[in-house]
Amino acid sequence: MAGGDQDQKRVLEKLRKQLALAVRSIQWSYGIFWSISAKKHGALEWGDGYYNGDIKTRKTVQTVEVDTDQLGLQRSDQLRELYESLSLGEVIPQPKRPTAALSPEDLTDAEWYFLVCMSFVFNVGQGLPGKTLAKNGTVWLRNAHRADTKVFSRSLLAKSASIKTIVCFPHLDGVVELGTTELVPEDRNLVQHVKTSFLEGLSEDFPDVPTNSTDLDCEVLDHAITDCGDVEVSSPESSSGDFADNLLREESNNLIDDIDKEASQMMSWQFKDEANSNNGPNNSTSSSDCVSQTRENHATAVPFSDVKIHENQECNNSNNNNNNNNNNNNNVHYESVLSSLLKSSSQLMLGPHVRNGNKESSFTGWDIISCCKTHTTTVGAPQSLLKKVLFEVGKMHESYRIENGKKDEKNEEEISKPEVDEVDRNHVLSERKRREKINERFMILGSLVPSGGKADKVSILDHTIEYLRGLERKVEELESNKESTEVESTTQSKSHDAIERTSDNYGPTKTDNSNKRPLTNSKRKACDLDKTGPANRRVRLKDSSTDSVTIKISDKDVLIELRCIWRESVLSEVMEAVNKLNLHSQTVQSSNSDGIFSMSIKAKCKGVKSASPSVMRQALQKVIRKC
Amino acid sequence: MDPNLEGSDEQQRRSEIYTYEAPWHIYAMNWSVRKDKKYRLAISSLLEQYPNRVEIVQLDDSTGEIRSDPPLSFDHPYPPTKLIFIPDKECQRPDLLASSSDFIRLWQISDSDNGRRVELKSLLNNNRNSEFSGPLTSFDWNEAEPRRIGTSSIDTTCTIWDIEKEVVDTQLIAHDKEVYDIAWGGVGVFASVSADGSVRVFDLRDKEHSTIIYESSEPDTPLVRLGWNKQDPRYMATIIMDTSKVVVLDIRFPTLPVVELQRHQASVNAIAWAPHSSCHICTAGDDSQALIWDLSTMGQPVEGGLDPILAYTAGAEIEQLQWSSSQPDWVAIAFSNKLQILRV
Repeated sequence: MAGGDQDQKRVLEKLRKQLALAVRSIQWSYGIFWSISAKKHGALEWGDGYYNGDIKTRKTVQTVEVDTDQLGLQRSDQLRELYESLSLGEVIPQPKRPTAALSPEDLTDAEWYFLVCMSFVFNVGQGLPGKTLAKNGTVWLRNAHRADTKVFSRSLLAKSASIKTIVCFPHLDGVVELGTTELVPEDRNLVQHVKTSFLEGLSEDFPDVPTNSTDLDCEVLDHAITDCGDVEVSSPESSSGDFADNLLREESNNLIDDIDKEASQMMSWQFKDEANSNNGPNNSTSSSDCVSQTRENHATAVPFSDVKIHENQECNNSNNNNNNNNNNNNNVHYESVLSSLLKSSSQLMLGPHVRNGNKESSFTGWDIISCCKTHTTTVGAPQSLLKKVLFEVGKMHESYRIENGKKDEKNEEEISKPEVDEVDRNHVLSERKRREKINERFMILGSLVPSGGKADKVSILDHTIEYLRGLERKVEELESNKESTEVESTTQSKSHDAIERTSDNYGPTKTDNSNKRPLTNSKRKACDLDKTGPANRRVRLKDSSTDSVTIKISDKDVLIELRCIWRESVLSEVMEAVNKLNLHSQTVQSSNSDGIFSMSIKAKCKGVKSASPSVMRQALQKVIRKC
Repeated sequence: MDPNLEGSDEQQRRSEIYTYEAPWHIYAMNWSVRKDKKYRLAISSLLEQYPNRVEIVQLDDSTGEIRSDPPLSFDHPYPPTKLIFIPDKECQRPDLLASSSDFIRLWQISDSDNGRRVELKSLLNNNRNSEFSGPLTSFDWNEAEPRRIGTSSIDTTCTIWDIEKEVVDTQLIAHDKEVYDIAWGGVGVFASVSADGSVRVFDLRDKEHSTIIYESSEPDTPLVRLGWNKQDPRYMATIIMDTSKVVVLDIRFPTLPVVELQRHQASVNAIAWAPHSSCHICTAGDDSQALIWDLSTMGQPVEGGLDPILAYTAGAEIEQLQWSSSQPDWVAIAFSNKLQILRV
């Protein structure tokens, strides 16, 4: 019995190759061999098939030049796998998943047609194959997509797949069905040609189509990758899937139940897979598959895997564009790293000959039993020594350094005074730039918070912390007093407006006349403004919504007061503008209450002559009006 | 702990195993690669005190005894985190041993007839200004370009030295956290692992970029050791802190391990790629086992994971493992205060 099965298998295998060759040579879309069902007596069921039609994902992935023979066979295999995994349904979905290289959304309509055909069973005399068997003669069906479902039960499917011509003829114990998207007039010669040239006799000369398993694995991976991409733009694909599902429902008389439900489950596994793809066991196997593939062609393989990386990222955060750009740059960079590395190193593939033949090895062959037996449960922390080296030894040096302080450092410096090599200049420069940037930011930060005159980084940070805490307290206070101040403020707003207006015009006109206006004056003004309080300003601005900039200049001291609607970057933009105006800010106070940002800057003019107040005002107004 | 457990005793009787007992706990260890110095190793102590020791030991072929060479032993300030002999098989340069701790030190070993001694040849101190430079966790000597030594530091940097000029070639802020190990993959390419849980690849031609090729699945689980396959630079292996698995990566396919070796019963402490084969790796850990794996089948998924081909059980947790590149039949392991060299 078993021998008979094997024979059957061999026959089928041979037939399959013959079918492939035949379909390819006449350039039709598919070939199916319907064989006598083992389960249901007298019925025809799917024996084998070869798909030669359009493939949707091929063009994005198929940069590797593989023989078309192999591709077709692979694709057919994959379709079969997919069908099987779909019809198996619930059986351990996760590990099952990667074996089906394709997922429903990858398929073209023609492939769907081909796939769905696998589920059909025909009684003798039923459907096209059944009729063919009953008649024991060739049936040529044109306009299959418009055929009556009684004649051709799959006509709706054929329509979706644009299959127009179908030919069935008996072969061996079953029926061969060929289909194409072209409208081909009946041609007995073609059938004869197929029969004689491919399906009979010549099978011995038939070129061996390799079905190398590693090649298959590569395919698996490729498509696993594109799956990811397809999900991104899944609407058209899934609709085609739905369409096919609908068809399935329409023709449900011959179909396995629930296939559509399972198809949708497949899609959800697909998503799950992607979510897990960083560490799932499935993926580790698929990545190892790549290895074999890229022995042939790693120039193309690298982009594949990169695609995978950023598609994963896209799945996680939909902030695509930036990501993509960065990734592309990085990919290019990394590819060059790889190519240099892999090119320059001679790859010795010595194979597995570690063991020395003649001498007795200290090692014994590994087996699970002895391994478990000999295992002594370790007390104490894992990797204790390693951790000591990594974590403790460093601390020893640090404490030593602190103890021995400067004396030690001096000694060390005397021993060796390394200088920077030429080669390193670029890096040093970029590092210096980075430090300069950091220092610059510290200066800005330092100028933003009231400091006690100390300019070192630690005290700047201390002051910032203090200042921020103060501000937080203030916000709380203000918020708790909000209602009462609002009542108050309406009464005060009028007088404040007056002040505001004068100060607004005050700067430019006065300073034009006398540059050496005493500073005390401006300070008084500042106090006046402070008295009115932030709540006032808010109200005023709510009413008039005009931003204001006040500039007072005395000699080299510049006092800038401004307020505007708050937005995120306004502070830094203002500081930038101030810097551009050649001003060195000394103290900056800013507050933000209810969306109104107000700020006062005391600055010194860096250059010999400061910009005119009107220029300054214009510049600052430009900044704050951006919003 | 008594290292002479029955299991290892039995193994010792019937096969070539040579043991050396040091007066202290051994951590760092390395094989000399020089042709004229077969069976020579350097070992160093791990003592939590300022004075530590480095010894040069040698297997006497005729007696089968490993002996220390007292004139070639020297003091070391605090324990070395790693020792490497100069990668100079052809003996064209002076014999050097490098050690890392607070700095890289190069020790010149002279054992000609007119004197046998070790001298501190240079101290590579990156501490050129007052800014603090962190102690070194590890380093690697570039075999293809022996002028280059790369160090990894707890101050998040990797530093590439030109040891002939004794100058810093490059210092890179390599990671977000402490860098725990570094390995060269070619003349100008190295990789590092860090407490931030990532493996990053650097190319000295373009120092602005690095590529993260792996991140531990639990965020911020430190990666503590890294080994780059010298025979086939597509592969590297890394150890995750407190895990019993070794992750093997293919640098062409970032983020996904090619295979995870999970047959150790406790945490792994050391990895060593075979110096003469592209697909063999030895791993050793707290389960006192040294396992040798054949990765030639790693393309095919194996039910339940890959099994090692060979195993050796030592008397205690194996802390260190080095595969001799000049004589690839020999692997050295260190556990407790013992050094053992084993025939593969």
